[in-house]
Amino acid sequence: MSGAPLRILIVEDEAFIALELECLLEEAGHVPVGVASRSAEAIALARDLAPDVALVDIHLADGPTGVAVAQALSARAGTTVLFTTANAKRVPADFAGAAGIIAKPYSERVIRAALAYVGGRYHGGVPAEPPDGVVLAPDRRGDDGPRPEVPA
Amino acid sequence: MIGLDAPRQAEAKEAGAMTALAADAPFLAAFRACEAPMVMTDPHRPDNPIVFANSAFCRLTGYAPNEVAGRNCRFLQGPDTDPAAIARVREAVALGEPLQIDILNYRKDGRPFWNAMTLTPVRDEDGTLRSYFAVLSDVTRDRQAERTLAQEKDGLAQDIEARNRALQSALDQQTALLHEVDHRVKNNLQVISSLVLLKARRARDAACRDVLRSMADRIGALATVHRLLYSLSDVARFDLRDFADDFAVELEAGLDPDRIALTVDVEAVAVPASMAAPLALLVHELAVNAVRHAFPGERRGRVAITARADGERLILDVRDDGVGLSAQSDNPEGFGRDLVGMLVRQLRGSLAFEDLNPGTRAHVVLPLEGGVTGAGP
Repeated sequence: MSGAPLRILIVEDEAFIALELECLLEEAGHVPVGVASRSAEAIALARDLAPDVALVDIHLADGPTGVAVAQALSARAGTTVLFTTANAKRVPADFAGAAGIIAKPYSERVIRAALAYVGGRYHGGVPAEPPDGVVLAPDRRGDDGPRPEVPA
Repeated sequence: MIGLDAPRQAEAKEAGAMTALAADAPFLAAFRACEAPMVMTDPHRPDNPIVFANSAFCRLTGYAPNEVAGRNCRFLQGPDTDPAAIARVREAVALGEPLQIDILNYRKDGRPFWNAMTLTPVRDEDGTLRSYFAVLSDVTRDRQAERTLAQEKDGLAQDIEARNRALQSALDQQTALLHEVDHRVKNNLQVISSLVLLKARRARDAACRDVLRSMADRIGALATVHRLLYSLSDVARFDLRDFADDFAVELEAGLDPDRIALTVDVEAVAVPASMAAPLALLVHELAVNAVRHAFPGERRGRVAITARADGERLILDVRDDGVGLSAQSDNPEGFGRDLVGMLVRQLRGSLAFEDLNPGTRAHVVLPLEGGVTGAGP
């Protein structure tokens, strides 16, 4: 693992995906602080736990509410939001405050690389290359290039 | 025929005018007999009254000759006559100009008719305006036909618009459905992969863990295909290079770069979407077999994946400089090798292993779309 451990909130309604993600985060040296499957739960947990990073699926148990969750969570200073979604077309042009999109189905490597990058860039860790497999938000790429094609 | 021009009759009394009148007689007879409704007015008399109207005019309007003589033509107007059309006639008369106009007129019995009228000012040799001469034409049927046609056209246009809307909405539904299915496929692949990985994490037996991990890798190869398949506008095509690049990064992440070097040289080849999954699995199996089995112990070496299109065929090579097939430890299950054989058969291609001394080359030739005649689905 590279960089300091991150405290990570998982917002995901598929139990197996959430559980596997928890294991993977621990294995990568991070601290999964909680799992939320609904938007209200996600916002409440983020308020109580103040995570460094939130991995947010767009389709939650209460509908396609992940975008609103990303808006609420990224409004807090200190929390970086990454979407993990199979439906990137639902992400608005401003990424709803999120730093990037990890397209499902993702691999373990992409999750690790994305967290290494976020840790280096936003949470005082060792700087890391922008990972491939992650679409960064337009204002987070360091250049003013066109928005890359978002995978479906 | 309702009468002759009174002033001309007066002129006729003058000496010398008789010959002119006599010369005009055949024309007068022709106007009277003509099937086209005609009327003549005298602008020098008060209110420009009718001084001549032929029988065709009387038949069209329903008035008797004595009912029209001496009257201004405005009695033909009615409640729905366009005031703008009336104004244009007035203006032409005032300026002494000719005019062609369609105007709604009314018969004596009140029935309207569309009158396509030609109004001509008639001048004598000196250029003095003598009379107005109008030829009428009943174009009611033409107008009705035109209107019916216009209505039909409007109806058709509305029909087409309604159909377009229906088609667009059907297309929108289809697109939404495709996105929904795409989303579910991807999500399910993530769930399947998570399940297998969870089980792998809990497995106590190392061999069991390896098997589960290798299954998760295969699922990962399929997942990559699905992630790439719908990311481009063309959902029917799949670019082998995009897959190979993505796959190489994943494979390299699990390699010790000091021990095994991986090179990938894959052309941008658009393959039909139906080939995408088996082709991706085939690349995965060949490459993973080479990485896993060609370098036992601490042996170092390289693995190269190359692919290019050759006309209607795809040439795929995976070569290593490892121990060679005969020296590779016997894999009792040999699942990877079996998979390769099955996938090549499924893709209707051919496969040859070649001993490179050192190493092995797997040479695969696959027909691309339309490359094999008689190959049914």
